[in-house]
Amino acid sequence: MTLYLMAFFLFLVGLYGAVTKKDIIKIILSIGIMGYSVNLFLILIAYRTGAIYPILSKIEDLGIPMVDPLPQALVLTSIVIELGITALLAALAIRIYEKYKTFDITKVRRLKG
Amino acid sequence: MGELSLLSNGVNPVLLVVVPLALAFAVPLIGFVSKKIIKYIPVVAFLFNLIVALLLIPSVLKQPIVVKIGGFAPPFCINLVAGPIGILFSALIALAGLLVSIYALNYIREGPQEKYHILYLLLLTGATGVVLTGDIFNLFVFFEILCISSYALVAYLGNKAGIESSIKYLIQGSVGSSLLLLGIGLLYGQFGTLNMADIANQIHSASSPSIFVPMVLMITGLGVEAAIFPLNAWLPDAHSSAPSSISAILSGIAIEVGLYAVIRVLFTIFDASNFLMFFVFLGVLTLLIGEMCAFSQKNIKRMLAYSSIGQIGLIVFAFSIANTYGVTGGFFQLISHTLGKGLLFLAAGYMIYRSGSMDISTFEGMGKRMPLTSLFFTVGAFSIVGLPPFIGFPSKFMIVRAALSTGELLFTILIGIVLLGTVIEGAYFFRVVQVIYFKKGNGNPERKKAPISGLISMFIFVILILVIGVYPNLITKILNSAASELLNRIDYIRSVLG
Repeated sequence: MTLYLMAFFLFLVGLYGAVTKKDIIKIILSIGIMGYSVNLFLILIAYRTGAIYPILSKIEDLGIPMVDPLPQALVLTSIVIELGITALLAALAIRIYEKYKTFDITKVRRLKG
Repeated sequence: MGELSLLSNGVNPVLLVVVPLALAFAVPLIGFVSKKIIKYIPVVAFLFNLIVALLLIPSVLKQPIVVKIGGFAPPFCINLVAGPIGILFSALIALAGLLVSIYALNYIREGPQEKYHILYLLLLTGATGVVLTGDIFNLFVFFEILCISSYALVAYLGNKAGIESSIKYLIQGSVGSSLLLLGIGLLYGQFGTLNMADIANQIHSASSPSIFVPMVLMITGLGVEAAIFPLNAWLPDAHSSAPSSISAILSGIAIEVGLYAVIRVLFTIFDASNFLMFFVFLGVLTLLIGEMCAFSQKNIKRMLAYSSIGQIGLIVFAFSIANTYGVTGGFFQLISHTLGKGLLFLAAGYMIYRSGSMDISTFEGMGKRMPLTSLFFTVGAFSIVGLPPFIGFPSKFMIVRAALSTGELLFTILIGIVLLGTVIEGAYFFRVVQVIYFKKGNGNPERKKAPISGLISMFIFVILILVIGVYPNLITKILNSAASELLNRIDYIRSVLG
């Protein structure tokens, strides 16, 4: 339970950063932290105490419990999606720097109302 | 393949996802052969999808088609559920996709066109996947395909406004998708399955606090894309900065698909009839805020974007009434919004192109300069406001009837507020129509037309708006069975799990 709460706390750290930081690079990192905490959470769901990795190679392993392989597959997918999002964010951050010569998101305010 | 024999006339719903996806990645290869034919690929893809979806309608009305990918039986496989809702939405996506891609043949002239067409195909593939999938993680993946391609398309023009709104949209959207994934993780931890029907089957066996947390997380995550208040801060910027063809798709398809995911999660998975009252108020609040913000806009595309927020509020309100009339009216209003708002954005696109500005006051005398486009814009505006004989009238009428049929005083008062919102809507749309027709422009009154492909696609929108407006019975059958699929979750579970 403590581990779940710590993963959730990590998520809140990321959320706090994404909401309050002004620097785009820090926002990108915060969004990254948020994604990692969700991945960590998924891996924790799959974890079983004393279990082995879910590859059946030896016949002696048959009775021993395995960790749940499905969340690990989900994490692989979610890492790929996060890679896409981070790359797009970084590309947009570069474009913003080209246009405004700053990474400060509060200076980038043309659209209002 | 045993299940193929179940499919009527051999059409497999999986083609709706596979063909546009394959064509999207074939675009660069075809680009090696000829750069000129690239822009026709989306037209071909969505024409194909529209035909497949229309062919599937008769058999889906009898029984939902469950496609088991990989040959495992549910709940162990990723399955597609082509029920009435799924096919209704796929047909709508294919129709809007086809018409907007015809419009884009001439409209998209600058920028990296190859990438535009790849992203456009991916966006609508993601949308089709979301409405067809029966697996909750697969829903997340398709949702991300939809979102990531729309983030990139918002920044397509590469100007300051596009990049600013894209990064705002991206930050809010990625927070939303993290919340969604967290909710999915919690659900998997409790039930050990990702199949939507299987989770729905077991949902009442868990204690209510442990259901409430993932529900809130998922609704919040999906609500960002569905633009439900207070999660819609990105929408006016993103919809107004994108190219007009993309604004039409974002407004007509992307937020609708987000809304589909919200109602699917609420009604089918969580069976959350206790919380619907909350969504009734949320819907009315979204409607009022959207309409009031739209009223004070001077920029035509921001006005249309805020009007979309108002329409989403109306649709949320209709679904939350949760009787047969309400849900049917919600689906009807969805279709009417896609057609009406799509047409408005497309017409506004060429009006902006000719006047050189998004400011409404520069449209003075447009009725003389671009008679056809102005006429189409007016039809779209009247349809969104809900005047007969356009499609907006029967759809809004059905929502009013739904609210009155509950017989509760609260709903009677709320529908009064909703109609007040419609009055505000009428006020700002008529103001634009007045500027177009009854103010003399001081510029040169030379007549310029939109290109023929643009006119054709807008004309088909107008025909559909008129025909369905006059004969709403054409689509009531599929609307009714879509409503019964949403309201009878037991039937949904039974048809998937067998």
